Order: sequence, then structure tokens, then C-alpha cells
Amino acid sequence: MTEIAPDAPAAAGSIASSQDSRGFNALRFAWAAALRELRGGLAGFRVFLACLILGVGGIAAVGSVTTAIERGLAAEGQSILGGDAALTFSYRFASDDERAWMAERGKVVEMVSMRSLLRKDEERALAEVKGVSAGYPLYGEALIAGGGDLLETLRPVDGVHGIVTERVLAQRLDLQPGDDVKVGGGTFVFRGVIEQEPDRASGGFAMGPRVLTSVEGLREAGMLQAGVLFEAGYRLKLPETGDLDAIEAEFEQAFPEAGARWRDRRNAAPGINRFVDRLGAFLTIVGIAALAVGGVGIGAAVRGYLTRKVPTIAALRTLGATAGTVFSIYLIQIGMIAALGIAIGVSVGGGVVALLGPVFAKDLPVPAEFTLYPAPLAEAALFGALAAMLFTLWPLAWLRRVKPAQLFRNAVDPQQIWPGWQIVLALVLLAAALAGAIIGLSTTPKLAAWCLGGIAGAFVILRLLGWMCARVARTLSHSSLAQRRPGLRLALGAIGAPSAGTPGVVLALGLGLGVLAAIAQIDHNMQKLLKDQLPEDAPAFFFVDIQSAQLDPFRAQVMGVDGTERLETAPMLRGIVTELNGVPAKEATIDPAGAWVLRGDRGVSYSATVPTGVAITEGAWWAEDYSGPPLVSIAEEEGRELGLSIGGSVTVNILGRPITAEVANFRKVEWRGMGINFLMILSPGALAGAPHTHIATLYADQDAEAPVMRTVSRNMPNVTPVLVREQIDTVSESLGKLGTATRWGALAVLLTGLAVLIGTAAAGEERRTSEAAILKVLGASRRAILASFALRAALTGAIAGVVALFWGSLSAWSVMNYVFDTPFTLPLGSTVAIILGGAALSLLAGLGFALGPLRRKPARVLRTAAG
Amino acid sequence: MEPLVRLDRIGLTLPSQAGDVEILKGISMDVAPGESVAIVGPSGSGKSSLLMVLGGLERATGGTVSVLGQDLTEADEDALAALRRGRVGVVFQSFHLIPTMTAIENIQVPLEIAGHDDPVARASEMLAAVGLADRARHYPAQLSGGEQQRVALARALAPGPELLLADEPTGNLDGETGTQVTELMFDLARQFGATLILVTHSDVLAQRCGRVVRMSDGRIAA
Repeated sequence: MTEIAPDAPAAAGSIASSQDSRGFNALRFAWAAALRELRGGLAGFRVFLACLILGVGGIAAVGSVTTAIERGLAAEGQSILGGDAALTFSYRFASDDERAWMAERGKVVEMVSMRSLLRKDEERALAEVKGVSAGYPLYGEALIAGGGDLLETLRPVDGVHGIVTERVLAQRLDLQPGDDVKVGGGTFVFRGVIEQEPDRASGGFAMGPRVLTSVEGLREAGMLQAGVLFEAGYRLKLPETGDLDAIEAEFEQAFPEAGARWRDRRNAAPGINRFVDRLGAFLTIVGIAALAVGGVGIGAAVRGYLTRKVPTIAALRTLGATAGTVFSIYLIQIGMIAALGIAIGVSVGGGVVALLGPVFAKDLPVPAEFTLYPAPLAEAALFGALAAMLFTLWPLAWLRRVKPAQLFRNAVDPQQIWPGWQIVLALVLLAAALAGAIIGLSTTPKLAAWCLGGIAGAFVILRLLGWMCARVARTLSHSSLAQRRPGLRLALGAIGAPSAGTPGVVLALGLGLGVLAAIAQIDHNMQKLLKDQLPEDAPAFFFVDIQSAQLDPFRAQVMGVDGTERLETAPMLRGIVTELNGVPAKEATIDPAGAWVLRGDRGVSYSATVPTGVAITEGAWWAEDYSGPPLVSIAEEEGRELGLSIGGSVTVNILGRPITAEVANFRKVEWRGMGINFLMILSPGALAGAPHTHIATLYADQDAEAPVMRTVSRNMPNVTPVLVREQIDTVSESLGKLGTATRWGALAVLLTGLAVLIGTAAAGEERRTSEAAILKVLGASRRAILASFALRAALTGAIAGVVALFWGSLSAWSVMNYVFDTPFTLPLGSTVAIILGGAALSLLAGLGFALGPLRRKPARVLRTAAG
Repeated sequence: MEPLVRLDRIGLTLPSQAGDVEILKGISMDVAPGESVAIVGPSGSGKSSLLMVLGGLERATGGTVSVLGQDLTEADEDALAALRRGRVGVVFQSFHLIPTMTAIENIQVPLEIAGHDDPVARASEMLAAVGLADRARHYPAQLSGGEQQRVALARALAPGPELLLADEPTGNLDGETGTQVTELMFDLARQFGATLILVTHSDVLAQRCGRVVRMSDGRIAA
């Protein structure tokens, strides 16, 4: 037999270098060992990957869509705005000086916007009327159905100007080319349907379909008299090299009291931008909630994987690997799998949007440029990486703390071992980094912070509730309730077992169902508010553009219709707030909640006496015959938000004239009542001589609506009636669509919750197989065993449903109470649906993994378990 | 007297990755009521498989099996479970207690399945009979191996079965504990008048039985 010489002892000087090389070798060994283990496949990581892909993919998709729309809006800025810059005046046209100033800088197009009633015979409809002038549009193309030039189509023939309308309006009034139609007090001829209005998106919220005609046509129809509520807009085509900020500053310097609003192509549709921003930010938060739910599944998958690896870990430790080396092996493995999941997630999320976006782009009401955008994908990858680290570090940390003896006794549960303060600190830092990234990268950081806080709170509450439910189930399994009911005892015991993962399932499924519940309940209560509560208090009609001389005949005619109850009128002007307490509005420090007051023009009225039903909360009303310097009464909440107090001042620009008024009192305003409410009411003398019209609200039965509409439109065609019920329906429909969009987002959370549920069910399959075998040995029928498994699954799901209902309803109540300040009712239908839905989902998942265990022969199972 | 168990040239062939494997080959055997039979043989001789067939936990692929007067050959899963209900008790080498139930609850289960009048009282009696009355509320994870096997024994005998099957009941226990469990098993089986068939590697244990059946390569050795 050949003798083998023993190894030579290491030279003394080489000990230090061998220690260094041990550090390096350990890492190399860890990589090699990690790759070798991964050769076995990813079978144990399906749930891990599913959770990560869903969360990251969702965030990537939302970010890609938002970016596509923002890019589209920016690229089409000129077309959307209708120019490089836009100046808008309320109630008046630009003065000759202002026109000259604009003409010196570029090509100018004049437009007019207003609301009016379109009438054909006895049919009527409220419309958004826009008058255009020569040169329109400066950018983009206006298209008429059947072809033809827009301005040519609108040209007067035999003294009658043409109009074109949106298709929906033409269909509603059965308009055929050549039909005479009345708009306001004028007669026009219908010439066609608008196929494309390039600057439509910049117009903001529309109360009716679009009607296009010429400015001249509106002027000749007497619709642009002094005091009538219209906006005159001027679109400028500027040289490419023009500095937009400098040009804006020049205008403000040249015409400091013009009271005009400036916009340019960089922010052509601010309303849409804000909406897309907020919706995108909200849906990103929902995606992060899905990622957080997925984190539960990720953590459970890692724990399950490590538990299965106990024999391997025991062997590694026996062979000399340190705890740190073992930790590195599995950290590398988990890291690589997480990287794979993130890569798939961003590819799917970004890829689907890039591929399918162009297909649906033409149906979007806003322009969008769909392609692969690196920034949102990088953002999604960052969130995914941080979340994966956060949820895997705790179970991985067990590897550093578990003692070899525990491994050999197989007496280990990764959940039960304290990970150590280092790991806890690392987790806190990771959580802070994730929160910081989410808030920092969000376009609405405050909303993001609040939502994150809500998600974190929900996590804690749901986890606690899940744990409590598991304890209760465990206690009940030993109670008299479960006596003589082995199936029930088994089900309750299984729910309460520490290894059952019940708190995780309740958290994951509960969060998904809870988000759906909250959105459904908020939607329900909003619809209730709009459809039931508001109409009870709201007037039937608003009327605008009532001339002063028409007030008395208007009142007589309207109140002469059967079914009318009450008519309220008030003078109405519109103005822009330009200064607060002597400080320019743009520079004033205000509560962000009051920012809307300074955006655009606001309704202003005047009154000698306190309007009926108004409550003064601070200060006093002026004397009826007061004729001193202008005083103003301000809505209390908004006034405080603007930093105003009694004795402070507000400057409002009305028709180009700045009026500075001292704050005389604050008054309580209930905007929701939809009655005549003004932010600012001035003392009468402040607006002496200012041309204006009046608005009115009419409270009447629904049966009186049609007769009132006919009477007013026939006798006072310049007065525009707005049927409130129709507007509520429009808003309700828009809210419904928004609710649908957010529900889709919530589904992403639920899908991830389902992945966790399926993962937990799969993880328990081995135990169920063993239980089924034992119960068969003891004489239980398959039906009884299946019933017990089904009961367990349904109970777990029902618990998740009840928990979801609790926190979802709490969230919805908070929103309705604190944000909308409105009563909350719990809808019975969705209540039952949520609980049953949770039970059904869990039942399906549970049964899916119960049939296999039932089919297995007890002998095989028990023999395999014996080892 | 009619035998409690009659096996007539039974065979058992099981599929495996390497192809079908014939585990039992033409085994015939009768066991009379009240007998105690030890089945011994080397590893892989088919002892445990034979026990599984006797308990209706494995279906023979050839021959006929009659246990407690019922032909098990064509019986379905539920019929086999119904046969075991209260009439056949099984003790396993690895105990196979339900981990989410306490000791007393584990014993209650077969009584409840069999529709016993007062499963709690009976379970308490059985737990006391195996010397674990003070461990009633403990979970299997809180019991030692010997204690778990005693609970398993109590569970198997609680319904008063006519046939007790034990597959290496002391296989996972140390010598002293194994002896204690063995004493308890024989004692209780005698008390309940149960016919005992046990599989064992231990000749000492086998000699405690009234008859020893040796198996080799799937057959009863001559």
C-alpha cells in the first residue's frame, strides 16, 4: 500500500498571509457555494419572485405611463397651449397698448371662451363656446369632419356666422349641416363636427361639449357686452430663441395692473399636469404598498428556504465554515434571485407600457409619448432592491446567530431567534432609506409621506390583529367549542400554530382587501354625497350673465313657473388676487391649502347688507349706506389660509383695475351646499361703475326644470342656465372613472396578497399531507379531512376579510371625515363582499393545495416521514 | 374460529424511478383473535409494507386480504378508513402525533371520529393508563420521544380496537425507554384483548410474542 506523507507544517511567517487569504477565500468560497446551490433551480423561490415582480413591475408601469404623458404634454406644449405663450383676461379684451406690445413680440391670435346655451328648435344644451380669430391655430391643426379649413367653415355667409360642434352635441341636438342654431342671443348656422381641436386640453374642466365659432360672430350676437362672463385669450407665436421668463417679466413690468394670467408652452395644461402628477404619485404609493405586501411573502419564502436548508447549513458549519461565511452564501443567493426578480419586474412593467401604450395612445385624452424611459425603471428597481433587502435581512440574520447544536437537533425556527442589534440597526437604516427614496423621488412628497405613514401603520395594526387572531384560534381549539369536533379543532389549531404563517396571511390579504375596501367605500360615500345628499340641498339651476335690467323680469318669469320654490341672486364679477397685506401674492407666505385661491380668477360680489343665511364669525358688516374706502368680507377658512386677519388687506384686480380692500369680517361659507357663495364680498362702493352681470340660483322641483329652461332660453337668450343635476352627474361620472382607475391600482396590492396567500398555502402542503395521512389512519373519511382543510382556509380568509374591513373602513371614515368633512356610512354590500371575498380567495388557495395531500397514500407519507 | 386476519397469496408491487419493485411476493398467513405475532426480518424484506397492507394503509396488488371479516382487496379509501375507525389501532416508529394538538386532544381524535360518548373522559383514562396524566395539556414538541410514543399508544388503544398494529414501536427510543414502552404495549393489549401484530428488528421483542414470522425478500421465510 502506498504511504501518503502528511502535509508539511506551515512556515511561521506565512500565518499572517494565510489569515488575509482566508478572508479573501471565504468570499470566493461563498460565491462558489452560492452558485452551486442555485444549480438546484429556483423552485423554492416562486412566491419570492412573484411578489417582487408584481411590486416592481407595477411601480415601473405607473412611472412609465406618467412619464410618457408628461413627455407628451411637454413635447406638444405649443399645440396644447395653442402658442408659445398665452395671456388671458377676464371680462375684457386686451387694450390697444397691450395688443401692440404682443404684436411687437410675435404673431398673435385672439380667442374668446364662455359658456352658453345652444338651441335648435326646442332642444337645448349647455356648451363651452369658443370664438377664434384669423390665424388660429398657431400650432397644430384643427380638423373638421369631412375635411375643410376651420376658419373658412366659420366665415359668415349672408351675414350668418358658422359654428362647428363636438360630435356628441351634434348628435344630441340632431344637428345637420345648414341647420340654424341659436347661441346666446345670436343665430348661427351649423356647418360640421370638430374632429380635432389642438389646444382642447389646455381648456380645463368643461361643463359642456365644445362649440367653435368666430370672435366676430360672438361679438355680433351681442354675447361679449361689458360685464358678461367671458375670457379673452391671446396666443403668441414667439421666436424660437425667445426667453419665456424674460418676456413674462417684461409684460408684468409694462402692465403691472393688467390682471392678466400668463402661461407658456412649458406648462401648457397645468390642470392636467397636476392631475397626472397626483394620480401617478398615488398609484406609485399603491405600487409600493403592493411591494410592502410582497415583502411579507419575500420574508416568508426566505424563512421557508432557510428552514429547508438546515441540513446543508449544519454540514457547512461542521466542515469549518463560519457563521459569517454561511450568511454570505445565502445573502449572495438571495441577492441574485432578487436581482433577477427586479430585472424581470422592470422589463415587464416598462416593456408592457412601451409596447401597448402606442396602441391605446389614440384613445387617451392627452398626448403621450410611449417608449422605454430609464428613470422610472431605475426608480422601481431601487424601491425593489431596498424592499427586498429590508424583508430578507431579518430571516438571513438568523444564520449568524444560530448555534450548530440547534441545527443538529433540528430545533430551529428562524422567526424565534433575535437577530442582534447590528441587524436591527441595519433594518432601521434600510427602512429610512426606502422611505427617504420614496418621499424624495415623489412629485408630491407630503402625500407620499402621509401614505407611507398610513401603510406603516396598517402593517403594524394588521400584523398585531393577525397575531391576536392566531392566539384566539389557538385558545378556541382547546375550548369546549372544539370538543367532539376534531375537524374544527384541527382547523383552529392549524390557524393558531406559530408555523402556520397566519399573521403574515392576514397582513398580506388584509392589506390588499383593505385597500380595495377603502377605495370602494370612499367611492360609495362620494357617490352618495353627489347623488343623494348634494341634490337635496343643491339648487336646480344656476343662471349666469343676467343683466341688471333683466333682474326683475327674470324673477317674475322664473317664479311664475309651477314648482319653483326660491330664487336667489347676486352681482358677479371675477378678479385675480394680486396682493395680500400689501405683499405680491406670488411672494406671500400662505398655507398650501389656500393656494387654489391665487390660481386663476375668483368670483367676487358686493352687497350692502349681510346676505341671507350668512354667519359672521369675526368682525362686523359695514353699514348699509357705507361709502368709505373698500371693505371686504372673506370666507373664514380661506382667509386664515391666506394669512389674513381683521384689518389686513387684499388687492383684487378686476377688469384691469386693482382694488385694495380692508378685511372687515370673516364669514362661514358652506361650499358643499352649492348655493351662491363668494370667497370675497366687497362693500358696494368699491365696484362703482364696473360693468357686471348677475348670477342666480333657483330651487325647484325636477318637473319644473324643463319649463324653466324653455322660458329663460326663449325670453332671455343671453342668460345661460346650468342644470345642476347634469353637472353633478358629469362629476359623478368622472369620479366613477377615477374610482375605477384607483381600483385597478388596488388590485395590484390584492394580487400580491394572493401571491403571499398561495405561497403560505404551498408551504403548508407538507404538513397537511402528514395530517391527512394520520387522520386516515385514525379512521377519518376523505370528506371529513377535506372539510377540515376547507374550514381552515375559509376561516383564515374570513379573518383577513374582517381585519381588512376594519382598517379599510377606518381609512375610508378618516378620509370622508377629515378630508371631505362629510358623514360616513358603511355600505352593507361591499362589507359582506369583502369578508366573503377574503374567505373565498383563501378557500380556493387552500383547496388547491389540499387535494394533493388527500390523494397521497398514507403508507407512503408516513414511511417517508419516518425517514 | 374464524381468523381475525387472513392473507392469501398477496403481492405488492410499487412503482419507483427505477421501475416497478415487487415488495411482497405471494404471502399467505392467518392470525387468530387474541394472538400476538412478531414479524421480523432484515431491512427491505417487506415487513413494514406487510403491516401497512394489514392496516388497509396500503392496497395489495395481488391476492386477497381479509381483516376483521372484511375483504380489503377492492375496498376504497373511505371504506378502509371506516374499517380502522375504532377497530384497528396503529403505532408508528415516528409516533406521528398531530403537532397542533395537546396530548389529550391527540387521544380524543379517534374517539371523536368513532363517535364515542365521552371522548374526554376516555382520553383522560388512557393518558393516566400510560402514566402521563400530568402532561395532558402539553404539545408533542414538549414531550420526550418515549412520552410521545406512550401518547401514540394511548391514542391507538383508546377506542378499544380488536387489532393493534405496531411498526417498530421502539425504533426511535433508547433501550430503557423502549423497554418501558414495550411493557406498556403488551400490558394494554392484553387488558383490551387486542390481537397484536408488530414489526421489529429486535429478537428480544419478537420473543415476547406468541408467534414469530420471519420475512426475507418479500416472502415469509420457511
